[in-house]
Amino acid sequence: MSELPRRAAAILWKDILSETRTRQGFTAMLSFAALVLFMFSFAIGVDNDLLARLAGGLLWVAIVFTGTLSLGRTFQNEELAGGTHLLRLYPGDVRAIYLGKLAGNLVVLAALEIVLFPAAAILYGVDFAAQAGPLLLVAALGTFGFSVIGTFFSALTVHLRARELLLPLLLFPALVPVVLGSVGATEAFLAGDPLGRAGGWLRLLASYDVILFVVCLWIFPVVLEE
Amino acid sequence: MSLAVAAEGVTRRFGRRWALRGVDLAVPRGAVVALLGANGTGKTTLLRLVSTLLRPTAGRLEVLGHTLPAGGDEIRARAAFMTAGGYAYEELTGVENLRFAARMSGTAAVDADLRDALAAVDLGGAADVPVRAWSTGMRRRLELARLGLRPLELVLLDEPFVSLDEDGVGLVHEAVRGWREAGAAVVIASHRVEDATRHADDVVRLAGGRVADVTP
Repeated sequence: MSELPRRAAAILWKDILSETRTRQGFTAMLSFAALVLFMFSFAIGVDNDLLARLAGGLLWVAIVFTGTLSLGRTFQNEELAGGTHLLRLYPGDVRAIYLGKLAGNLVVLAALEIVLFPAAAILYGVDFAAQAGPLLLVAALGTFGFSVIGTFFSALTVHLRARELLLPLLLFPALVPVVLGSVGATEAFLAGDPLGRAGGWLRLLASYDVILFVVCLWIFPVVLEE
Repeated sequence: MSLAVAAEGVTRRFGRRWALRGVDLAVPRGAVVALLGANGTGKTTLLRLVSTLLRPTAGRLEVLGHTLPAGGDEIRARAAFMTAGGYAYEELTGVENLRFAARMSGTAAVDADLRDALAAVDLGGAADVPVRAWSTGMRRRLELARLGLRPLELVLLDEPFVSLDEDGVGLVHEAVRGWREAGAAVVIASHRVEDATRHADDVVRLAGGRVADVTP
């Protein structure tokens, strides 16, 4: 394995090992996500048609809110270990830190979505399974875009005092195309895509993901400098 | 003799506060230099500059033949920095912490090597215990084990004797002797004057962010 993926894999291995030992973060995230899904369900009431129509949007709002909690913890264990900057003492390209943390966020969000999609299907009365393939693609693109931006802003705010407040403030505006694309594509596929709009949303998502990934990877070394 | 570290007029500012003001320093390869001074005189800042964690605001800093900020990656491959605050992942065991360090450094260390490194600092019995259950002194020993995983040409130690018992202090001295014999330069910043100067070829005193005097 070449140097960059090897070091990114080492960070991913270390973070997953830490997370599986504590489970505090993931358990809290799951509880919060369930709470958000329930609250939407209670707020909309017994109108099952309306719930089903809004399911895509509600699901992605729950993912974004819960995922933001996860992103805030991205560099927390580094701070507890002595400081995120100490990762820079290892030789090699510091972009490995970004890639490792990004992979960690992808794994956590994927695990979250494995629970959230069936939960939303039951609560909102929608059949995700009928469109499993296309929805899997939407979830992959949406989760990747969310993680790419989130990991970057998490590193940017790690040393700030008001990081819990600043992270969502910076993150949410940058997430607008990801949320729009994900919600639009999810709703289009759930409705059987009668107007053929899903492809456009997917292209928007994919383009935004690629552009952001390249930009974030390119400027990440500057973010970690003191 | 070639120099591991050569600083000329190195200055570092944090906002409006000057941490270092025109520091000149020469650390020959294979030499031990003790860096002394009261709190806030710039010892840690100087070590962080040399380790490439920080960039100088002004001045020229050459480390292992590279003039910073160039060659940072090459320097980090041949140098190591033991920070005063410690560096260990709480949820990982001792051997897992070392495995992570080895993977990040590109060191080809197998499990037996990692356990040997822990045994060398009397942590063999705690190798599979999560670090959150360890004392501060044990964590310092873990740092020593981490530094021993790969060959080094420059070792930077920030308060290496803090929180260690007598045996632990002895381990630091033994490690410093080993590095010097292997030809590495060692810089020790400490308030424990007797321990810091025991192997020192030069003693550098900092005061107010400047070099106050250098005693061979």
